[in-house]
This record gives sequence, C-alpha cells and structure tokens, in this order.
Amino acid sequence: MQILTYIGRRLIFVGPQLVGILLVTFLLLKLIPGDPAVMMLGPFATDDGLARLRTELGLDRSIVEQFGIYLWRVLHWDLGTSWQTTMPVTSDLAQRFPATLELVTLSLLLALAIGMPLGVVGARNRNGIVRKFADIYGLAAGALPDFWFGLVLIFILYTILGVVPAPLGRLDFTIIPPPDVTGSLLIDSVISGNWPALRNAAGHLLLPVLTLGLINAAPILKMTLSTMERMLEADFSRYAEMCGLPPKVVARKALRNSLPSVITIVSVLYGFLIGGAVLVEIVFSWGGAGQYAVQGVLNADLNPVLGFVLYSAILSLVIYLIVDLIYFAIDPRTR
Amino acid sequence: MAETMENPKAGLPDAADMLLECKGVSVSFPRYGAPVSEALRDVSLDIRRGEVLGLVGESGSGKTMLSRAIMGLVPPPGEVTAGTIRFEGKDLGKLDEEQLRRMRGRDIAMIISNPRGELDPLQTVGQQIGNVLRHHLNLTRRQIRERALDLLKQVSIPDPQRRMDAYPHELSGGMAQRVVIAIALACSPRFIISDDATSGLDVTVQAQVLELIRSLVSERGTSMMFITRDIGITAHYCDRIAIIYAGEIVEVAGREVFFDDPQHPYTVLLLAAFAQNERLRRYWLGGDKVQEYTGPSPVGCPFQNRCVRVEERCRGEHPALLERQPGHFVRCHFPVERP
Ligand code: SF4
Repeated sequence: MQILTYIGRRLIFVGPQLVGILLVTFLLLKLIPGDPAVMMLGPFATDDGLARLRTELGLDRSIVEQFGIYLWRVLHWDLGTSWQTTMPVTSDLAQRFPATLELVTLSLLLALAIGMPLGVVGARNRNGIVRKFADIYGLAAGALPDFWFGLVLIFILYTILGVVPAPLGRLDFTIIPPPDVTGSLLIDSVISGNWPALRNAAGHLLLPVLTLGLINAAPILKMTLSTMERMLEADFSRYAEMCGLPPKVVARKALRNSLPSVITIVSVLYGFLIGGAVLVEIVFSWGGAGQYAVQGVLNADLNPVLGFVLYSAILSLVIYLIVDLIYFAIDPRTR
Repeated sequence: MAETMENPKAGLPDAADMLLECKGVSVSFPRYGAPVSEALRDVSLDIRRGEVLGLVGESGSGKTMLSRAIMGLVPPPGEVTAGTIRFEGKDLGKLDEEQLRRMRGRDIAMIISNPRGELDPLQTVGQQIGNVLRHHLNLTRRQIRERALDLLKQVSIPDPQRRMDAYPHELSGGMAQRVVIAIALACSPRFIISDDATSGLDVTVQAQVLELIRSLVSERGTSMMFITRDIGITAHYCDRIAIIYAGEIVEVAGREVFFDDPQHPYTVLLLAAFAQNERLRRYWLGGDKVQEYTGPSPVGCPFQNRCVRVEERCRGEHPALLERQPGHFVRCHFPVERP
C-alpha cells in the first residue's frame, strides 16, 4: 500500500521534471552557435530565403514563445522533424532508441556478470589472486577509453582473426531484418523465428557489447568490492561470525546488504550510457540514439536533440522508479 | 602466603569441574616500525561449571579481546602469541577453523551490546534465530519455527508471534537485547559471554535485562563470563570478579572477599568511585598527586601513573599476580591492607 502512495507521489513530479529538463536543454542549445536556416539552405542561400525559412521555423520569435510552441507540440507527442533525415523525430527515435537500449542493456548485463563475482570474491579474500586481478582490472579498465578499446577489439577480432562480422551497423545488408515489434533485433528475430537474423544480429552485438561491458565492469567491480568489504566488516557480520554461522552464510548476508549500492551504480551507469555510449556507437556505426543526438548538435538540428533528451529523461525516471521499487523489496527499512 | 601463577587453582575444586581454563594467554598486534602492541598479557583465568565470573575493565583494557580470543576470533593482524585456552579440557588452539566455528554459538554463545546495530537489518527476528538453529542443530523447518517462538517466550518478549516477523529496526533497544539473548540461548550453550550487554539501555530496562540474563543462566546452570565497565553491577550478578587493566588481570577474588577486602589500588579506585565519602573518593582518584594521564606505562607497573600508592619499586619492576589468600590473586607490590 505504501508503495502505491509512493509511486503516486513520484508520478506527480514527473511532468514538472520533464518540462524543467527540456527548458534547460532548450536554452543550452540556443547558446550553441549555428543558424539552422543557414545550415539547411547551404552556402548559396539568399537573404530572402533565409528570412522566410526563419519565419517558417519560428526562429524569429522570442525564445519564450519558441519554447512554448515546442512544449505545446510535445504535449501532442509531436517532436518535430529533423531536417537532416527529413523524418519526424518520433519515428527516427523509434528506430534508434531501441538500438541503443539493446546495446546498453546487454553491455551492463555483461558488466554485472563480470564485476559482481569478481568484487564478491575479491572482498572475501583480500590476499587472494582474484583480489589482485580485480585491483589491476579495475585500474586498467577505468583508465582505458571505451572507443579506443573498441577499435583494438575490431583490429584483433575482425581485421586479424576475422571471427566477427564487419563493425558496420546492427545487421549485414544481405540479411532481411525481422519485423519491428520491440525494436530489439534479438527479441524480434526470436519472435518471428528469423534465425539467420538472430545469429547475424548477435554477431554484430558481440564486439560493442564486449567493449562497453568490459569497460563498465570496472565501476561495478569497484563498487561491489568496496561495499562488500565494508559489509563483511560490519557489526552484523561480526555478530554472525560469533554465532558460528558458516562463512558462506555470512558472505550471503553481506552481499544482500551490498545490493542497494550495486543497483545504484548500475542505474547511474544505465542513464549515463544512453548518451555516453555515443563514441562506441560511432566506432561501430551503430545508428543509435546518442549518435543521432550528436549529429543534431553538430548541425544545429534542434528537434532530434530535444527528442533525445526527452526520451532519455523519461527512461531515467523509469529506471530510478524501478530502482526504488527494488530497494523496497530488499530493504525493510524503506518500507 | 605468596604462591605464583603456577598453581592458580589451589584451594579450588579439582579440574574436572573446570569449564574454561585460560592459561598465560597473550594477544599481540604487530605494528610497523614499533614494538608489537599487546592487547592481552599473560591472562590466566578459570571458570567453573555454573559459575558467573565478572570481568571488569575500562574500554581498551582488553576485556573484549579476551572474549574474542576465547571464541577464536581475534581480529587480524592480531593473534594469540602465547598461552592456552581449554574448553571442557579441549585445547581450543588445536582446533581448526571449522571445528571452532561449530562451537561458536552452540557451545559458547555471545550476548553483545548495541544489538540493534549488530543484527542483520534485512532479516526478521525469526530468520535470525532460525539461522543459528539451522546451522548448529539438525531441525526441520517447523521445529525451527517452534523453537524460535519458544525462545522468544523465554526471554519474555510480549506478543512473540508477531515479533517473529519484525525487523531489527522495528524493535526497541531492550527488545533487540532480548532477541540477542534468545539467540545466545538457542542451542543451549554451556558457556555464555555477555559483553557489556546492557550498555546503551535505559536504567530500568537495564535492570530488567540483567535480571533476565541472571535467571536464565542460573536456571540452566550455564556458566557465564560477564564483561562490564560497571563494577557495581557485578556485586549483584557474579560469583567471582576479575579486574583487568591494560591487558592484564590485576585482581581476582570471590565476590564476598572482593568487596570486603579489595587489595589492588585500581580496584579500590573503581570502588571508590561509588563511595559516598567525597574525601575518600578524591584520595583514591588521585587528587593532585597524579600527573596528566597518558596511558598505561610500558615499564614497571602499568598502573603506576594513576596509582596513589606508587613507590620507586613500581617504576622499574613489573608486579606478578600473586595469590595472597586462597583464591584471591593480586598484581601489586604494595597491596592495600584492610585497616
Ligand atoms: S605496583 Fe605500585 S604502582 Fe602498581 S598498583 Fe601496586 S602500588 Fe600501584
């Protein structure tokens, strides 16, 4: 019951939060030099043509008015069109956002699968070989730029060994993509029983997921290690030892108490990677949402950027809500 | 009258009656670039079956370290560097970690202070009692639940059925203390260490909890080491009292003798703190004679910097623990004589 009240209270704030985020982004974008009219018409535009286009785009109005108009459209789920792709932003994002989500979700799952066990074992045995490996891994992965690591992987696994498909997008051109249901190629191919597409999509995912997963395992590893270490030294662990509970049971208690921190770091990484994976997306020509937004910024194409920000903000809010629900489930003190 | 530590049991019942025998136990912590620091030095202490021994000392005196050493849980890098600890004749130092773990909570149980911080915040009371039962005794799920409920009743927790599903943060301090006592009793241990069990509780709750511990322990004939900072409490609850200072036992005696004829200046100081007589208290607390206190002295008698009876001999010669009357041990060159 308390949970429902809590969710209700959270939802009330979603609207104002989104407007606030959009406003800040809108103003920031206006600060970036670059005139969309000039960009769109090219170097041979006439002054007359530019003026007409500006009126058409509403660029001659005050910023407040422009923002008001934008908000009004957003309320009707019209995010405008991108002049680069000449498509509505909603349909562009419908394609690109799932591409990024699929990539980021799988990468974080991999990162969790690497980081958590290493962290737990490392914390339990401070002088063990695993701990030494974990320390070195955390340092190394924390210091490498992800796009560089992606390039190295491409060089080794594609150029030299040739075991993965070319790092160009999510599917080979020769493969017929599955009908779009969820936007995730893996899930859609399974739904439609399109096995060649499944295999090919998985092959394309392999390197970027490996890149992001291996790099982002580092923060998860460090967080797990330090929290777990603290929990193993906590009073309740010492008491559990005094009660003669087996080390495994003590470790399990400590792990359960560490979970909130791990979940927090994962949710932070998730929100960050939606946009932060852009360099890796570019390296693999992924056609994801981050890439789309960066193109928008570089070409004074406002609508894609605002659309991306809106989508990311909604996603982050959803993630944080889920995180809170998990806290509820784990920790009785929050109930 | 002086007998050395070689025969500390003189005048006492024979060894078969002994539950716990600590002999010359030292615990040291290595330090970088400094001599090792000794948390316990040559501690010898026996506890008979059914006996309640009070162990009194200020914080940092080593009383908790002794309980840790008995449980085999000296925190690294510290280690037991000398002496033996026997429990029911078994040398605990010869047991491996797994055998020690099986004894903890089952044969030797611990009642801790500040239990709200020491219980697992994510598990219910029932689960935490159940944990101990499950890992030490071979019981079915139902038996565990029944037993846990029964234990909660024994420690007089109101509405035990409901408390089974409560989380630690939902308990009051006194209630949490009772839960910890229930956990300690769960496997019917033969020895219970109560480490400052009532600190942090209201005075009235404190009295209730102490009474509860005492009645439960005496009903079952369980032996107990009752660790406390409060020498006054021991007068009511303990058969014998040991005073520990700077990692050393400085005086041990049966309760009657102890309060009737305290001989170590530190003991007298502790007792004087309770005295109504202001002049007496000021005298033993040192008055002007004691310089600013900087910690136990490494050479000679550790207590010398706080002692009103200190003489030249105390500065250079470390006093031994001597049996001045049968069963009454004192570590002092100039023990206090009864007037
Ligand atoms: S040995 Fe000396 S300094 Fe130490 S307690 Fe006895 S009288 Fe005081």
